[in-house]
Amino acid sequence: MTQVDTEHAAHQYAPPAPQRTGWRRWLFGAGWPRAIWMTPLFFCIGTGIVVFFRWLGGYDPIWDSEPIVVVGALTAAPIGFLAGLGAFDYWLYYLSGRPTRAEDHSGHGARYWTDYFRVNTDHKVIGVQYVSTTIFFFLAGGLLAMLVRAELAKPGMQVSDTQTYNQFFSVHASLMIFLFVIPAFAGLANYVLPLMIGAPDMAFPRLNALSYWLLPIAGVMMLSSFLVPGFAAGWTNYVPLSDTQPYGNVFFSMAVQWAGASSIMTALNFLVTIITMRAPGMTFWRMPLLVWANFTTSLLVVLATPFIAGSQFFVMFDRVLHTNFFHVADGGYPLGYQHIFWFYSHPAVYIMILPGFGIISEVISTFSRKPIFGYRLMALSLVAILILGFSVWAHHMFVSGMANWLRVPMMITTLLIAVPTGIKVFSWLATTWGGRIHVTTPMLWAMGFVTMFVIGGLSGIFLGAVPIDIHVSDTYFIVAHIHYVLLGGSLFTIFAGIYYWFPKMTGRMYNERLGKLHFWVTFVAFNITFFPMHIIGVQGAPRRYADLGAEYANWNLVISIASFFLGASFIVFVYNMVVSWIRGPLTTANPWHARTLEWQVSSPPPIFNFDEIPQVVGNPYEYGVPGARHAVMNGDRVGDPENVRAGE
Amino acid sequence: MRRGAIVRVVVLGVVLGLGATAVAILIPWLPDSASDQAEEVDFVFWFVTAICIAVFSVVASIAVYSVLKFRAPPDDDADGLPIHGHTGIEIAWTVVPFILVSAMGLVSAVALARNEKVPDDAMVVNVVGRQFAWQFMYPPANAPDPGEDTLECDNQSVRARCLTSGQLHLPLRVPVHLRMRADDVIHSFWVPEFRQKQDLLPGEVTTLVITPTKVGQYEVLCTELCGLGHSTMRAAAIVTSPADFAKWKAEAGKQTSGGGNAGQAVFTQNGCSSCHTLKEAKATGTTGPDLDKLPQEAQEAGKPLEAFVRESIVSPDAYVQKGYPAGVMPKTYANLPKEQLDALVQYLVRSSRGGGSR
Repeated sequence: MTQVDTEHAAHQYAPPAPQRTGWRRWLFGAGWPRAIWMTPLFFCIGTGIVVFFRWLGGYDPIWDSEPIVVVGALTAAPIGFLAGLGAFDYWLYYLSGRPTRAEDHSGHGARYWTDYFRVNTDHKVIGVQYVSTTIFFFLAGGLLAMLVRAELAKPGMQVSDTQTYNQFFSVHASLMIFLFVIPAFAGLANYVLPLMIGAPDMAFPRLNALSYWLLPIAGVMMLSSFLVPGFAAGWTNYVPLSDTQPYGNVFFSMAVQWAGASSIMTALNFLVTIITMRAPGMTFWRMPLLVWANFTTSLLVVLATPFIAGSQFFVMFDRVLHTNFFHVADGGYPLGYQHIFWFYSHPAVYIMILPGFGIISEVISTFSRKPIFGYRLMALSLVAILILGFSVWAHHMFVSGMANWLRVPMMITTLLIAVPTGIKVFSWLATTWGGRIHVTTPMLWAMGFVTMFVIGGLSGIFLGAVPIDIHVSDTYFIVAHIHYVLLGGSLFTIFAGIYYWFPKMTGRMYNERLGKLHFWVTFVAFNITFFPMHIIGVQGAPRRYADLGAEYANWNLVISIASFFLGASFIVFVYNMVVSWIRGPLTTANPWHARTLEWQVSSPPPIFNFDEIPQVVGNPYEYGVPGARHAVMNGDRVGDPENVRAGE
Repeated sequence: MRRGAIVRVVVLGVVLGLGATAVAILIPWLPDSASDQAEEVDFVFWFVTAICIAVFSVVASIAVYSVLKFRAPPDDDADGLPIHGHTGIEIAWTVVPFILVSAMGLVSAVALARNEKVPDDAMVVNVVGRQFAWQFMYPPANAPDPGEDTLECDNQSVRARCLTSGQLHLPLRVPVHLRMRADDVIHSFWVPEFRQKQDLLPGEVTTLVITPTKVGQYEVLCTELCGLGHSTMRAAAIVTSPADFAKWKAEAGKQTSGGGNAGQAVFTQNGCSSCHTLKEAKATGTTGPDLDKLPQEAQEAGKPLEAFVRESIVSPDAYVQKGYPAGVMPKTYANLPKEQLDALVQYLVRSSRGGGSR
């Protein structure tokens, strides 16, 4: 929780006097009670709008469940929920001419645990909200993966029917991508990025709060698709299959809108924060690589995410409004969907890994006690990936039936991305070379990431080479590849980040032994689970089969058993986090002796991060350079090696 | 000291490389290669594998060596060497990967160009994918050019002369030009042993070239998620000598043109067996209702058997058997020619009654 200097806060940032008292305030003031009655109210309003327009247009029947679900339940009700919680209060007050203060900090900081359950404008609270929420959805997505593996453990159908099985993997992927990996990175960056650049908060704290609260909405929507005839077309949701699905499909289409809106708002917030709120002296070439990584990622998000929003709107409009984007019979073009979809979803792959690259750079430099090798090339390779990332989408479509001439150019750009990615991997290794390495839990995850990501990257080369891709596309080889880059890749970096900043966020230290146990069980189980998938994929096992038959029964059993260990390793993590947060030993401001700014303030940091904005005077990773400093704080020499240690 | 470190890393790299090579060689990765195109793909596969093993060995050996060698004692407070970079090394690890990926790209592009080429003497086979069955049609030699976006056998005047089958029969060493489309959603044609894969789209024709090189029976798999029967959408691909192929063609032609088993022919040719069980036709699919129980099901629906069977084919959602979801059975069977539909209905009525009395 945030350390709060109550007196200081009260003087300068006194909240406006409450306008109502007693039960009225309880019922009509921003908060959960108001959200609980406003959500159904808005649902009714949405339903009313649909019914009114259907009546006006003379449609029959007037009550049609699909448009009512889309407008009432999936659009209006969430807006009611957000309004009830108070996410729009400030703006509505402003619009309606009621007194507002731009410097209103009444919703800032966390004094009690309940403060994490309201609209909070403190980037540190939002960061913790993000990370905890995404871990909850990670758990849900993981349980769905366990169900998938339980079904595949033996030939034939045992656990579910085939439609339910298709729902398992569809929702598993959607949750992991849209509700875990992407927002988990947004959460970690939300916490540390303003600290790293010496800013008191994000540029738009109220927008920041709103983007967080869109997330649980999207997640609940994805999960509740199980309550209706479900969403089972895969997270890719290809037309025309999605068009023939029951109306659970619109739950996916709309959940993507909410999650996507959240992503875009956060990305804009990061961009403006990084561009305008860096501390004096923090030039672009002095920014920590995590900031660089989130800068490039945010550009990707802002440019690409509207495309998936568009693709899902088209699918939904085709269903609900009977438009003809993709209906072949009426002149629609199904392949167009794939182009639009992958124009987002390939850059999305980098959205899901570049922030991880940033985390790994921080962790490896800190625990090798060495400057990042080739800092500028590291930053430039992020930019190269950003640019190349937009020119490779059709490598997901080598067998799709698109124009054949597109294959070779897309193969060339795809293979070229290996060059900047290789630069990053080699530079991390060079950073460790000759260092004084402390193998702590975050460092274990980081080194685990480097090796696993290399395997995922190399299998990516196989997939980039068109003739091999034609053979292995839509097989278990793909499943293996994406799990090596998203689980061995992104997830490992998220764990590295969580363990690395846990003492900063909570002021307490996690249990190192349990952290290492968590790593090793995950690492071993992960490899036994996913490496064999390369083999059965090349041998001929197609993905998304509810039943793979007797041919692959042995491997499938091995994979399933290993995957249950992988699932169990998560329990160690949650136990460690929860117990350490409550009872872990108190820690110092800078337990890792790191040089970046977030470690130069208390753990957890003060409510507005810095008592005085620091003056940045040097590079962030000057380990071993005599007399080098990153910043001067409070006129003091905090941040140089002598003082970091003296200040403990 | 420095030289000693490099020697040790190289030794470690060689050991790891040998390990990875063993994994590549000892595990049976690629399935049998049964087409000319597969040979091209396999060459690219092993070419890329060799390069990847080398890259992996370099990275893994440095990572392992670093962590073991440069590990600091727990209470150590010192910093490492303040190395900020090395222009020469950085240029090297930009240029070398660039050369490697260029080589892999070149090899791939050549193989792709060869595998895409349609030989002039290629035999055309039409493939139609529908939930959840494959249909293969052999147009007559003199079929008119159908143009880019339709199949030869979609032409009404050609249709009757097309040989239709639920199995893909191919003559050895004859290049085959598959021209394919989907009836409903996107499907994908794949035979692992041929290494060739291509999506089938509704409203568009996609193509694939295969030159089989080994006699045998393989499996056609659908590899694009196409609904709840996706994993049952399989068919046999049978490669025989050209003489056996001609014999099969002649016999299968007779069967379609009438005779006692016209209904059974329609049943197998349209892939009904991938989803339904019917003892008479040796069909064992379980995605859809058991057709041996048709009389009982008609009773439950309260309809006369023949009318019930016809309605269930033409308009499958009119009555849905309990325990099976609606909207699964393709609606496209309504387009079967009238005589084929009649034959199919008669066949189902007859064989299910036979099944029921047993």
